[in-house]
Amino acid sequence: MLCQICKKKEATIILTKVSEGQKTVIQLCQDCASMFNDKLSIFPIPEFNINDLLTGLLKAIDLYSKEEGVIPIKEVKCSNCHLTYDEFKQSGKLGCSVCYHDFREQLIPLLRRLHGNSEHVGKIPQRAKGKLNKIRKIKQLRKELQEVVSREEYEKAAKIRDEILKLEGALKKRNAK
Amino acid sequence: MQNNKKGIILQKLKESDAEWTNGQGPLSDIVISSRIRLARNIEGIPFPSRADQVELKNIFDLSQQVIEKSSLFKDYNLLLLDELTPLERQFLVEKHLISIYHALKKQVYRGCIFNQRETLSIMINEEDHFRIQYLLSGLQLNEIWKLINKIDDEIEKIVTYAFSGKEGYLTSCPTNVGTGMRASVMLHLPALAMVGGMNDILKAISKIGYVVRGFYGEGTEVMGNLFQVSNQITLGLSEEEIIDNLEKVNQQIISQEQKVRNDLLSNSKSQLEDQIWRAYGILSSARIISSVEAMELLSKLRFGVELGIISHPDLATLNKLMLLIQPAYLQMLAGKDLDPFTRDLQRAILIRNKISE
Ligand SMILES: [Zn+2]
Ligand SMILES: [Zn+2]
Repeated sequence: MLCQICKKKEATIILTKVSEGQKTVIQLCQDCASMFNDKLSIFPIPEFNINDLLTGLLKAIDLYSKEEGVIPIKEVKCSNCHLTYDEFKQSGKLGCSVCYHDFREQLIPLLRRLHGNSEHVGKIPQRAKGKLNKIRKIKQLRKELQEVVSREEYEKAAKIRDEILKLEGALKKRNAK
Repeated sequence: MQNNKKGIILQKLKESDAEWTNGQGPLSDIVISSRIRLARNIEGIPFPSRADQVELKNIFDLSQQVIEKSSLFKDYNLLLLDELTPLERQFLVEKHLISIYHALKKQVYRGCIFNQRETLSIMINEEDHFRIQYLLSGLQLNEIWKLINKIDDEIEKIVTYAFSGKEGYLTSCPTNVGTGMRASVMLHLPALAMVGGMNDILKAISKIGYVVRGFYGEGTEVMGNLFQVSNQITLGLSEEEIIDNLEKVNQQIISQEQKVRNDLLSNSKSQLEDQIWRAYGILSSARIISSVEAMELLSKLRFGVELGIISHPDLATLNKLMLLIQPAYLQMLAGKDLDPFTRDLQRAILIRNKISE
């Protein structure tokens, strides 16, 4: 490609200019580029490349699920911020934390494509730690309860049941807050 | 915030050097800096793109509370971007304190918190409510994780993060959900660039879930042979795993670069020396210079210092110069708007002075 300004030398520098939402790409040779100056050089492409990638992926998943016979429901809407799934597909951005819950079914294949995974295994915030640990504890106690009942140890069972009720009560209080 | 407070903060920022430019971290002959950023949102408030003015203000007020209530954040600065001129916002971008997206986005109550050392910055109401980033010189991802993790815990004492047991930290864009963590390493790879080895590397690492960006992050072009390598996957891996994998990828690129550097030194030392001294010659005598040309030549000079061909200026001076010569920084130093031609003149003077210091 020849330089777009002098039309003589080979273009080695690609400048991207954004003004009023219009993106212009200019290909220049070294000499003309230095004339053109720093005004264009670092200021760049504000919209995210990753977003193009994401919206492309969303369309691909749509097609894929059609082939699979799973027809996506068109008018899925977030119960909290009222973002529709179609709007999400356009922008690549969710509206609020409830979107994750309300779009979960649609999001799972997307998360798998993006991350190879759909479940978090990293850090847990301090505040949620108590709750997640309580949930884990309740699961474990339920197992124990079944075991002691099968051994007909009813006194122990009653104790475990009380503990489960206490934990569940605490969780409910937490959620109500 | 009163105008003079804003003025004082910017004045200080203009005069101070970011700690990450000191050129002293591990492997600093190839690694300029390491960075981790965490995306966090507050429970019960829509993400910035869908929040109304009152909600955006709530978030901004919360960030103010965070730095007022915690002793960890004493001496921190808070800027409301709405009050800054486009030039001042661009200056913050050039300082690596905010993203370009944050500088250009048309939305009220955008903020930026940062410390004096410029190691930590928090963007308020960017794509997510809070984007916390920590920067250190050289390859120091593990150290940064320890530091930023503590800061994250501290903020959480005051706010409640949007979090789900299944998807982890909830973010505006599903590409960040889970850990909300993007770790990146800024590499100077002149040898690989010289022999045309970058394309293969870029292809290979993008296949395994890593991306390469330019000097100013997402959507910016590579200049001065500076490449920013970062993770793309944020869900299904722990923070430690993400860091560990990224460090391994970078170690591989670094050893490739080292290998090519050694090859060049043993096979074409004279040509290398010639190129480096020519760069020195132009930088120390040019009267007019664009930032594109300056970045290319500073990269060559840096290469010469890294190889021990040239001993002066040191890496710290060169790192700082890369920031100082950017358009907004030059204009902030001059205290007024400069047309491109005047900038080229000023830039040449600045470089000559710094190099002969
Ligand atoms: Zn030309
Ligand atoms: Zn929503």
